[in-house]
Amino acid sequence: MNARRKEELVGYLFLVPYLVLFVIFIIVPVLVSAWLSVVQLDLTNASKSAFIGAQNFTDALKDDFFWQATGATGRFALLMVPSVLVLGTAMALGMNRMAQGRDMVRALVYMPSMLNVAATGILWQWFFNNEFGLFNYTIRKAGGTPVPWLTDANMAMPSVVLMSLWWTVGGTSVVVLTALQQIPKMYFEAASLDGATGQHIFFRIMIPLLKPVLLFVFVTTTIASFQMFGQAAILTGGGPTFATRGVVQYMFETAFNGYRFGYGAAISWLLFAAILVFSSIQARVLKSQVEG
Amino acid sequence: MKRNPLPSMIMVLIGGLFILPFLFMIFASFKREAEVLQPDKILPKTWDLANYEAVSRNSVEAPVGLWFVNSVFISSATTLLVICLSSLVAFAITRIRVRGAKFLLNMIVGTMMIPAQLFLIPLYVILSRMGLLDTPYALILPAAASGYGVFMLSQFMRNLPVAIEEAAMIDGCTLPVVFWKVTLPLCGPSIATLAVFTFIGSWNDYITPLVFMESVTNYTLPVGIALFQSSYSTQYGLTIATSLLSTLPLLIMFLVFQKQIIESMTSSGLKD
Repeated sequence: MNARRKEELVGYLFLVPYLVLFVIFIIVPVLVSAWLSVVQLDLTNASKSAFIGAQNFTDALKDDFFWQATGATGRFALLMVPSVLVLGTAMALGMNRMAQGRDMVRALVYMPSMLNVAATGILWQWFFNNEFGLFNYTIRKAGGTPVPWLTDANMAMPSVVLMSLWWTVGGTSVVVLTALQQIPKMYFEAASLDGATGQHIFFRIMIPLLKPVLLFVFVTTTIASFQMFGQAAILTGGGPTFATRGVVQYMFETAFNGYRFGYGAAISWLLFAAILVFSSIQARVLKSQVEG
Repeated sequence: MKRNPLPSMIMVLIGGLFILPFLFMIFASFKREAEVLQPDKILPKTWDLANYEAVSRNSVEAPVGLWFVNSVFISSATTLLVICLSSLVAFAITRIRVRGAKFLLNMIVGTMMIPAQLFLIPLYVILSRMGLLDTPYALILPAAASGYGVFMLSQFMRNLPVAIEEAAMIDGCTLPVVFWKVTLPLCGPSIATLAVFTFIGSWNDYITPLVFMESVTNYTLPVGIALFQSSYSTQYGLTIATSLLSTLPLLIMFLVFQKQIIESMTSSGLKD
C-alpha cells in the first residue's frame, strides 16, 4: 500500500510539467475563446468588456462577408475532397500493380508534402503567372488562348485546388496503397477462380475492403479543407474580389487586422462546429477500429 | 500473377510529373531573371549564383540566415520538449496508472478534436499578457502542450509487454530508472516517428508564427519567405531560390529517411 502510494507520487511528478502547459495553453485558451465570443471586448480595459450573449454569432449569420468566406471554403472542399479521393485511389491502384519501382514512385509523389505552404505558393504563383508563367507559356506555344489562372474570379479557386492537389494527393495515395497491400491476395485469387471479371473484383471486393481507409481519407481531407488558409493567402491573398478568401482567412483578418477579437472567436467556434460533425464520424470509426 | 508493364510505365510518368515542379524550382533558382521570365529552355543557359549571393547577404529587410536559425531552434526545441513531456505522461498513464489516468487521457485526446485555428485568438491574448509574444516561446510552449504525442506514445506503450519492466522492478530498479533505462529504449521507433512529425509540423507551420511573431528578425522561414515574396514579387528567380532554401533541410531528411517517413506516416495515419 505504501509502495503503491509512492509509485503514484512519482506518477504525478511525471505528469506535472506537461499538465502545467496543457492547462495554460489548451484548457485556458478554450475558456478564454468561449468568453471572448460572448462579450464586447474593450481592448484597453478588459474589465469594462460587456456581456452581449450570442450577438457575435447572430452577427456572423447576418454578415455577407462571412457567408462569402463560407462559400469559398465550401467551394474549395467540394472541389478538393472528391479529387483527392479519386486521384489518390487511382494512383494507389496504379502503384499497387507496378512490377517494379514502386518505392521510388511512392517517394516521388509523396515528396511535395514536405514543402511548406509558402514555398509551394511562391513556386506555383510563378507557374500560374499570366504573362511569364510556365502554364500560359506552354499554352501559347501550343497555339491556345492563355488562361487567367489567378486573376479571374471563377478560375482562381480551381487553380488553388490544383496546387493543393499536387501538394497533398501523394500522401493520400500512399495511405490508400498501404491499405490495398494489406488485403490478402487469396481474396482476388478465389474471386478470379470463381470467374469474377476485373470489374467485379474492383467494385465487389476492392472497394468494400477499402471502405474504412476511404472513409478516413474523406474525413481528414474534409477537415483539412475546412481549415484552408495558407494556399490562398500566398497564391491570391484571398482575391480576386474575395473569391478565394476562406473562413480561416476571414477570421484571421477580423481578429488581427480589424482587432475584433470577440467576433473572430465566434467565427472560430462556428468553424469548430462544422469540423466537429466530421471529426465525430472519425472518432466513431477510430473507436470501432480500436475495439474491433 | 503475371505483371503487365503498362501500369509501371504510367506510374513512372506520373511520378515524373510530381517531381517536375521541383526540377523547375532548382533550375529557376540558378537562372538570371530574364531567363526565368522566358521559359524557352528548361536548363539555365549558365548556372548563375547571383540569386544565392543575394539571399546570403542576409539584408535587414530579408535576413534569410536569421530566419533559418530561428526555424532550426524553434523546431528542435519543440521536438525535444514534446518527446520529453509526452513520454513522461504516457508512462504515468499506461504504466504507473495513476488515479484518473483514463479521464486524463480522454480529456487530452478530446482536445485534439479542436481545430488549431480556435486557439489563435485566445493564445494571442494569453501570450501577450505573459509577455511572450514575438519570442520563440510563443511557438514552442503551446506546441509542446499538444496532445498528439501523449496519445501516440500511450497507444504504443500500452501494447508493449510489461514483463521486462516488472523484471527490472523486482531487481530493485526505481520507477524513474525503469522509465529511463527500459521503457524509453523500447519506445525508440515510435519516439523517432513522433520526433520526425513534430519537427516537420513545426518547421512548416505558417499561420502560428504569422500571428505571434511581429519583428522581421524573429520570423521563421515560411513567414519570412512569404514576406520576402510580397516585397520582391516580380523577382521570381530570387524568391524561388529562397523558397528552395526554406525546404532544403526537410528535403534532405526526406531523401535519407524516405522509407521510414512514409511507412510511419501510413501506419500512424491508419491507426489514428
